[in-house]
Amino acid sequence: MPKVRFAHALFLAGAASAMAGVAALSGSALAQAVQDPGLRGGPPGAGGPLPNLIPGGSGFFKAATTFFVQINSVTGTLNPTVENGGPGLGPRYNLNQCSGCHAQPAVGGTSPKINPEVAVATLDGAQNYVPSFISLNGPVREARFVNNPDGTPDGQVHNLYTITGRPDAPNCKITQPNFAAELAAHNVIFRIPTPVFGLGLVELVSDLTLQTNFAADSALKSQLGISGHFNTSIFNDGTITRFGWKAQNKSLLMFSGEAYNVEIGVTNELFPNERDTTPSCQFNGEPEDMTIFGTTDPVSPPTGSTASDFSTGIVNFATFMRLSAPPAPVAPTQQSSLGSQVFQNIGCQACHTLTQKTGLSAFTTQNNITFSPLSDFAVHDMGSGLADGVTQGTATGQEFRSAPLWGVGQRIFFLHDGRTNDLLQAILQHASSGSEANAVINNFNLLSPQNKQALLVYLRSL
Amino acid sequence: MWRLSHLGVLVCLVSGLAWQQSAATAPMPLPEDGAVRNGTFTDAYFNLSYPLPPGWTEGMAGPGPSHSGYYVLGTLRPAGDFTGTIVITAQDMFFAAKQFGDAAAMAHDLSGAMSGLEGMTIDRPPSEVRIAGRRFSRIDFSGVGLFRSTFITEIRCHLVSFDLTAKSPERLAALALSFDKLGFAGDRGAERADPRCVGNYADTEHLVTKVDPVATGPSFTPIPVRIVVGTDGSVEHVHVISATSGQRDSIESALGRWKFKPHEMDGRASAIETGLLIEFRPGGAVKYSTGNRSPLNRPG
Repeated sequence: MPKVRFAHALFLAGAASAMAGVAALSGSALAQAVQDPGLRGGPPGAGGPLPNLIPGGSGFFKAATTFFVQINSVTGTLNPTVENGGPGLGPRYNLNQCSGCHAQPAVGGTSPKINPEVAVATLDGAQNYVPSFISLNGPVREARFVNNPDGTPDGQVHNLYTITGRPDAPNCKITQPNFAAELAAHNVIFRIPTPVFGLGLVELVSDLTLQTNFAADSALKSQLGISGHFNTSIFNDGTITRFGWKAQNKSLLMFSGEAYNVEIGVTNELFPNERDTTPSCQFNGEPEDMTIFGTTDPVSPPTGSTASDFSTGIVNFATFMRLSAPPAPVAPTQQSSLGSQVFQNIGCQACHTLTQKTGLSAFTTQNNITFSPLSDFAVHDMGSGLADGVTQGTATGQEFRSAPLWGVGQRIFFLHDGRTNDLLQAILQHASSGSEANAVINNFNLLSPQNKQALLVYLRSL
Repeated sequence: MWRLSHLGVLVCLVSGLAWQQSAATAPMPLPEDGAVRNGTFTDAYFNLSYPLPPGWTEGMAGPGPSHSGYYVLGTLRPAGDFTGTIVITAQDMFFAAKQFGDAAAMAHDLSGAMSGLEGMTIDRPPSEVRIAGRRFSRIDFSGVGLFRSTFITEIRCHLVSFDLTAKSPERLAALALSFDKLGFAGDRGAERADPRCVGNYADTEHLVTKVDPVATGPSFTPIPVRIVVGTDGSVEHVHVISATSGQRDSIESALGRWKFKPHEMDGRASAIETGLLIEFRPGGAVKYSTGNRSPLNRPG
């Protein structure tokens, strides 16, 4: 071989090798570059009322918001300087106001960056220890026990805290659950708050529309190993339930009533009895939240909305949710548009259905509105990796509702128990033995790094 | 004397139990029992066998049978570099959320859904192919760097799908070629005579004796059930597809005692399989429906 040619060949080989190295490096770098872009900046894009509300609607929404941020104490008289304080806290509770948990990125959202469950443990003289699964920078969590001591299914919320030691709860001496022992026995599961923005629209979708949408992409679901089913109101009217991590709650009023009693301890007209009946810990007549019969509420000052003033707290909470606008996504970019294609091409939308449509509404301006919750509101088997062992309605221990992804761009914690704040991990954890999402996650894993990243960017734009 | 009568009671009890065992709960293959053994995916219910491509193995298990009679029979993947997947599924045509009359209809529906997606290309419109002497509908499509092919065939009133995904068209083509080894004779080496598949047979016209199951578990949830009716009209097998264990026991116990008019085909009694939905209502009422919306009647 002539020298020049040899040198040339060497150069070519070197160049090729160098290029291969660059390619390998860039591939590796790209692989490493696939990461959750994190919370998107800019305004929250959530927290306001629906547009074009009926007369009085805006006023009711504004007034209802004051109920949503109301701070509850045991008798409502502990700290008169707290504006709009209410009675009924405890005997057991997780927090003392709705908006403490539903906070990110605005009132009505989900778990905030700083967990208020730490400070409330000893607020106002309470003598609670903070369980090991609660931390200042971790998610707001409620705890449920999987089984009772006799091995039968439990599934109920076991509150973190008690009112013991508070000056407004004299002689109440009850203790917190032994969380350490329950954790050691692998008997505790967690749930984080679901955001409530736009839920009025969800409530307005007819069962028929949900079922039609669900069936519409049957062939696509079949191709991906996806089935699912709706949870139903098994003890009442048999219709589709749609709120909560397992779609276990029928209506926003039910959602409000249950949470007010279970999370804060305020008995109300839907759930009028205390869950803990220790006699020395009962300080108010039941229900603690009730319809105002007189012209003025002895507890809350007038709000400026007659409808709000005459309504119970739970009706106000439900109204806040019912009239709240959905989260607004940011304007699409080239990358997020590609991500939207990826989302649909790999099959995410088989469960995270892009659009739903309201039916006829008593709030006539909400008739026939197409909106984008990115959920089919059905429950799906999510496999052993996400299973919590708790059955609610017809949703089994491995089944969860397709979480509506609207607003996911501003969520800090993901999955039902807030186990991760990394959106990429949240996607990957959809796959485990028995999960309906396995084929979709396989598709995700087969994507190029660029397409994976585009999907993450798209999700963070929502 | 006392001992003799006591023995007689025991014999009756044992024979009664034996009847129950030999009738409705007799072991029969179920769709969900498919598995990879010795490098071959086999499913005795569908009588199918598929030798995996070299270097491939069983992937993560899919979900159990669904309320709509949908099964993930198997998930296959390469043991090494993750370059593709094969998902094998079946949809019971009696209980589908959306009814497809045949495999071609399902393939066309899939084609319509895929062509509506931005960035998705239909590389091969739905068309009929024959594999192992059986008719399949095939559709190929690609988007965002994934190349996919779906083969659908009808077996025992189920739409059985093989869904192939690969990172390149060449790999997809290689995977598709592996279907040349697909077989439908199982270990028997020959076609077997499956019960004829007849929709709407569990109705008042054909049912002679009905015993209601005891209502248990969640109400308002239609429970899909497949039954095999023998040539004498007795129920030979009950398959409760998706239910709680209590509901399953209750339904198996009751339906095992059902009796039908024998199904006749060309003047001769023939075994059939059919489907029905059972729904428990609060207060103990039991609601029945025959499941499918289309009058299926297919040879086994």
